[in-house]
Amino acid sequence: MARAGTPTAFDDVDPKRRVRNVALTLVAIGVGVLVLMFLESLGSSKLSQSLALFAIWGVATVSLNLINGTLGILSLGHHGFMLIGGYTTGLLILDEAARARILTSARSTMTEESLAISVTNMLRGIGLDALTTPDTLWVRFLIAIFLGGLMAAFAGLLVGIPSLRLRGDYLAIVTFGFGEIIRLSASTRLFAEYTNGALGFPGLTSEFGKSVWWTFGILAFTVFVMSKLKFSSYGRAMQAIREDEVAAQAMGINLAYNKVLGFVISAFFAGVAGGLWVSWLGGVRLDFFLFQLTFFFLVAISAGGTGSITGVLLGTALVVFVRQYGDPLEQTYTLQQWLTYAGATLVLMTGLAVLFRSLRRLRPRFHWSAGVLAGAAVLAFVVAAIDPAFLEGTFRGFGMRAIFLSVLLIAIMVFRPEGMIGRAEFSWSGLLGERRSGPTDDERTQDAWLTNPVLNPRGSDADVASGSDAPTAPGRSAARELDVGDERHPRDDSTDDERRG
Amino acid sequence: MAMLEVEHLTKSFGGLTATNDVTFDVGEGEIVSIIGPNGAGKSTIFNLITGVYRPDAGEIRFEGRSIVGTGTNKIVDLGIARTFQNLRLFTNLTVLQNVLAAQHHALNSTWLSAVLRTPSYRRQEARMREIATEKLAFFGPRLMSFRLNQPVYVLSYANRRRVEMARAMATGAKLLLLDEPSAGMNPSETKEITKIIRRMRDEGGYTVVLVEHKMGLVGEISDRVIVLDYGQKIAEGSYRDVVNDPTVIEAYLGKKAAAAKRGELEDVDEP
Ligand SMILES: Nc1ncnc2c1ncn2[C@@H]1O[C@H](COP(=O)(O)OP(=O)(O)OP(=O)(O)O)[C@@H](O)[C@H]1O
Ligand SMILES: [Mg+2]
Repeated sequence: MARAGTPTAFDDVDPKRRVRNVALTLVAIGVGVLVLMFLESLGSSKLSQSLALFAIWGVATVSLNLINGTLGILSLGHHGFMLIGGYTTGLLILDEAARARILTSARSTMTEESLAISVTNMLRGIGLDALTTPDTLWVRFLIAIFLGGLMAAFAGLLVGIPSLRLRGDYLAIVTFGFGEIIRLSASTRLFAEYTNGALGFPGLTSEFGKSVWWTFGILAFTVFVMSKLKFSSYGRAMQAIREDEVAAQAMGINLAYNKVLGFVISAFFAGVAGGLWVSWLGGVRLDFFLFQLTFFFLVAISAGGTGSITGVLLGTALVVFVRQYGDPLEQTYTLQQWLTYAGATLVLMTGLAVLFRSLRRLRPRFHWSAGVLAGAAVLAFVVAAIDPAFLEGTFRGFGMRAIFLSVLLIAIMVFRPEGMIGRAEFSWSGLLGERRSGPTDDERTQDAWLTNPVLNPRGSDADVASGSDAPTAPGRSAARELDVGDERHPRDDSTDDERRG
Repeated sequence: MAMLEVEHLTKSFGGLTATNDVTFDVGEGEIVSIIGPNGAGKSTIFNLITGVYRPDAGEIRFEGRSIVGTGTNKIVDLGIARTFQNLRLFTNLTVLQNVLAAQHHALNSTWLSAVLRTPSYRRQEARMREIATEKLAFFGPRLMSFRLNQPVYVLSYANRRRVEMARAMATGAKLLLLDEPSAGMNPSETKEITKIIRRMRDEGGYTVVLVEHKMGLVGEISDRVIVLDYGQKIAEGSYRDVVNDPTVIEAYLGKKAAAAKRGELEDVDEP
């Protein structure tokens, strides 16, 4: 049995490395906290607002990823769950002054009773007056987003039920429909008493939504829960459902329970994200929860890597960055400037093309298309430098931000359909180049020995039980086993590594 | 009392009767093979037993309890697991994860305690991993070591079949339904899998029902053979008896050829 080797540690990480990885994670968190502290000391800047937005959308995308990535169900109704969380939080923490304004406003549809719904009143009701002071607002906010999450989770339960009968595109349409129903019914008579119809609740505190501590704290909590869930038995069951429903059920996995569970947990965090989102925006309105929101999340998920929490966060960072810092793209510039920028973009593209080819070990590294790109860049620069008469005038890049994001997404989908990170999660071992994506040379030798009768001539009577192994037809199977890398799979890069090995 | 009792089982798809009044039983510790030409309704019987289809008529009892109408996943809880004729592994998961996922149904822990990694959950998880390696060890070292953490899609076809069998064993079932376990394997791999199936019974304590086209394998390990043709059971008995049964030869070779041959039944390979 010695030749067979002992089964490796399950997570393939030896204890020493695990200690090191934990240490590295702690250091990274520490550095992150220091950076956030530094930003905080600068006051509320655009950067800290963008970071807060990243964290809020991160909560939303990571939770959507549970349905889309882990459970493998395309859900398009995430904005609906966020709306429920957002409105609940808004109603629950609205301050007295804002309530008084709504009550006196002629167009308001709210009543005194519905305006009396607040965490403050709940706490008073159970005699916890100590928690209703202005400096305990954070407690009330926490309670509010938690309740918002619960409300959304309840909606998730309802939306999850059709997922038991429907699959694929049909289910996607249903989730989309649910999201829209939630959004549209919020303004109907039925709920207008609680949502204030089209007016919503203006004047919400931004104290939490724009605080990097709050948003990153909740993001950290979300990531903690989601990653623990993903790497637990429940996560495996959900991934099994994603891979093959029929097989999952045949292995005893309860499809209904696990799907609905996924929806409920995901919706809960979407509700929490909704609460933070309205706080970031400083108010609640119906048009803060358009389908566009879900679309942005989907872009983030596909660009980063469906199913990978780290990938999704990377994708979110990209989307939030373009949203927040994309406005220079939409300004008015002279045509000469546009041409120069185009030239710079082409230079960048040439560089990326060469980098891409060398990373993929494609030859020749300098493909002719890179030459064309570089040529076009030079041409653009030359024309811009000459500045001929037809370059007079200006042009305003309306919508360039969306175009830029779309082009970026197309590029990612073409060159890396699995997303920037792919299915894998970030790991220190991976970063330090220790990740095992294939067998070592020793293991290859052993594998060849196992399956190749030339190396292991003890014939087919060799008893499998005694540790040696029955060989197979000469050469054939061995070749098959060793060439596993040829079976390429679009979603994973490990086979590439094997092919190289 | 037999472990599995199937009585007058009937199932039609539209006008086609895929299973027609089939009755048989399987005792504990037996290896029973179901054979028959393509389209005879062998896989349909597995689908009926595991609750994928609901029979039109008839009764299926497992350990004395009727399981007709029980959900597919509940049937696994009762102790029946299967493999698929066309592999159905969780392709993007690793070998280990595949075998672990098959044990999820027995987990006695809420999702919250799984997230919090309570001591009870940790213990069960460790136990699941033990069972997983134990089942994979049936197939020798070839699924161990680095293979444990390889995604299934890099495995060879034969190895995928092995993982599927390990996965079925890991569910904790007592009765295994193996649908063509040796399909796509070369002769020596088939020989090996034959031994493994016997060890599954002798060492693992499983009762095995298998569907096979390779007569060599069937003849070597079956305690009993059931022959189906056009959804009907046409013969049952020891391998010797069954292959010499004129109706069986006729079913496989057609009337004329059967009359001409009247001899040994050749290995029937897959189409
Ligand atoms: N879901 C279904 N709908 C309609 N017809 C079906 C269905 N499942 C099976 N059949 C038909 O029932 C018959 C028996 O099919 P089954 O798959 O059980 O055959 P089999 O004996 O397993 O054959 P093979 O040796 O090719 O695996 C076939 O004619 C098949 O076309
Ligand atoms: Mg079949």
